[in-house]
Amino acid sequence: MQLHGARQQFEAAGVPLVLIGQLTPRHAARFRSSQHIDLPVLADERRASYKAAGAKVATFGELLGPKVVAKGILTSARTGRTQGRTLGHPAQLGGAMVIGPGNEVLWSHMSQDAGDNASPEEILAAVQPG
Amino acid sequence: MLGTAATRQEPSPPERAGELAEIVLPDQEGNDVRLGDLWKDGPAALVWLRHYG
Repeated sequence: MQLHGARQQFEAAGVPLVLIGQLTPRHAARFRSSQHIDLPVLADERRASYKAAGAKVATFGELLGPKVVAKGILTSARTGRTQGRTLGHPAQLGGAMVIGPGNEVLWSHMSQDAGDNASPEEILAAVQPG
Repeated sequence: MLGTAATRQEPSPPERAGELAEIVLPDQEGNDVRLGDLWKDGPAALVWLRHYG
């Protein structure tokens, strides 16, 4: 996972980086193990935080349309990783957010389709203003 | 099919994270984490995964 590679830069910035996934702590633990990541992963079985973050549920085209599939193939070729079995709500999209004290949303990028993900560099730029 | 939306939605991130702050989720070890505690003293970056895998 690309974010795992950037964790030291988040640590240097003093900004916690936390992942949130669907389903249970057991699934979260298995994900950390299989992906060899040591970032904290929270389990949101009811997807309450997804809803509160304004994450959308994709249409079929946003999930498996030609542009999305093409982007997935390019990403797999670049990273050498392929998508495993989908667990949880298959059409639930994700996103990223930087939140500060006082519940101020400093930056956000919620996915428009399954291939629309903020890069670690984009998130780092949001936590390192200027 | 696949639980997809019938019509296109727009992401709707909030301007303030008060609702998010009150949500409590278990971590990978089952320990409860109140989201608002993550950014109580300084910014925190949260990433919602589309799926595990």
